[in-house]
Amino acid sequence: MTGPAKTLRSDTEEPTVVDTTAATATGSGVVLDGVQVVYPTSDGSIEAVRHASGTVSDGRFVSLIGPSGCGKSTLLDVVGGLLATAKGSVSINGETVRGPRRDTAMVFQEDSTLHWRTVLSNVAFGLEIAGVSKKEREARARDVINLVGLAGFEDRHPRELSGGMKQRVAIARALLLDPRILLMDEPFGALDQQTRMFIGRELLRVWDETRKSVLFVTHDIQEAVYLSDEVWVMSARPSTIKSVITVDLDRPRVAGTMADPRFHELTTEVWELLRVESEKALQYRGELP
Amino acid sequence: MTTIGRSRVKSGPAWTHAAQAGLIVGLVALLETATQTGLISPMVLPPPSDIGVRLAEIVPTAAFAQDLTTTVSTVLIAFVVGAILGLALGIGFWRFPFVGAVFEPYLVSMYSMPTLVLYPILLAILGVGAAPIVVIAASMAMIPVALNTMVGLRAINPSLPKLAKSLNCTRVQLYWKILAPAATPLIVPGLVLGFIYAVIGTIAMEFILAPNGVGFRIGYFYRSFDIVDMYAYILVASIIAITANVLLNRLERRIRQDMQ
Repeated sequence: MTGPAKTLRSDTEEPTVVDTTAATATGSGVVLDGVQVVYPTSDGSIEAVRHASGTVSDGRFVSLIGPSGCGKSTLLDVVGGLLATAKGSVSINGETVRGPRRDTAMVFQEDSTLHWRTVLSNVAFGLEIAGVSKKEREARARDVINLVGLAGFEDRHPRELSGGMKQRVAIARALLLDPRILLMDEPFGALDQQTRMFIGRELLRVWDETRKSVLFVTHDIQEAVYLSDEVWVMSARPSTIKSVITVDLDRPRVAGTMADPRFHELTTEVWELLRVESEKALQYRGELP
Repeated sequence: MTTIGRSRVKSGPAWTHAAQAGLIVGLVALLETATQTGLISPMVLPPPSDIGVRLAEIVPTAAFAQDLTTTVSTVLIAFVVGAILGLALGIGFWRFPFVGAVFEPYLVSMYSMPTLVLYPILLAILGVGAAPIVVIAASMAMIPVALNTMVGLRAINPSLPKLAKSLNCTRVQLYWKILAPAATPLIVPGLVLGFIYAVIGTIAMEFILAPNGVGFRIGYFYRSFDIVDMYAYILVASIIAITANVLLNRLERRIRQDMQ
């Protein structure tokens, strides 16, 4: 491909399934341009991501979905500046990502709360590292704690919280850094189905109030469609961004959204794309004939 | 009566403590009776009351103060040296997994090896005195500290270093604000065990090659058939070890509560 990706499109031979109209803006937002990621291993190297391109425009909620082991999280780490690309680049508002940046914040799948700290101190941790005074960071942390629905739990320790609440702490910690883009790596992956649905709605409410861009890794099709403006479907490893589905469901999304026939169409469409790739991935691992 | 009913009546910390105290009192009473009636020869065990009286006489003496000071300071030096080396080794083995993998089995087998038997070699190298005692006790203390530090660091949830990196933590912030507190629940039990090893190592080595100290006294009185004095000092050694153990376990529980 040539030049920075200005539109979201697939880089495979296959045609893009749904073109995007929303992301035709200029270099603003997060631009992935032909990203290739290679892991060195003891016996050679593994190409985790072959060629990923796309743009997350400001304020958009984008989900990254793909068969397990396809490099979704790897790609997120690249955007977060935790991993370097072998080829291609990621830029945020025109600046190439060369390491962790102040305008990105990450939320991980596993519990990443600091068990020896209170909720307040956990949420304020990012600002503590950034050198913000205790008084200021705690005052600001309280606002975010209210926003994510943890008011009253400021002085509790993570061991006293449920899995969903711990993820709220991690989300609040990320939000407090006031990033331009929130990078979420299967943040609800360890939660049960019901908790997941409720916390997903909460996330949308918070997103609505803050209007961050979000890049959200998930393997749950319903979750991806329900939350997102766009769903990027990745291929099996070595992966590419195979298709981009624009989710044209009304916002705010409500409980009834899932009953919408359009919701069903979209999830079916994502599943059809994913099915082929999942089969390839499973065959590769020997779990399917 | 059902099992549930029974455990309800007799469990609970108050009952447990009473039973534990009763056990000691009963045992002492039993030994007192057995020794007073001649069932146990005074050459094997003098009456506990005699030992108690002798202990009360010994405690105020200057010689006792000197022995106690020597032993306690040797234990502390050995522990500090062992803990620092153990922490450094544990961190090193974790930072360089290849080195850790090579050394780990040897370190684990040193756990079971009676390090004390190395004393003749150390005696030849370092001579009689405090040095070989500190070396042996410190190397005994070092092993659990090193192993627990390594295991504690390895057990850290991988998302924490990732979080540190994404927040652009400095190396000092990574170690002090994330790794050290995250590994503390496992490092502290290692330190507690290390301290106990330092006590055991010190007293046992004093027994063999010290000019003074609690361990030396036990051996000295043993060899001169002062059985009552020997037991008095055995009691002192036991009290040191038990006190240290109780205090450290309390500390450990508090730290675990705060950190976990």
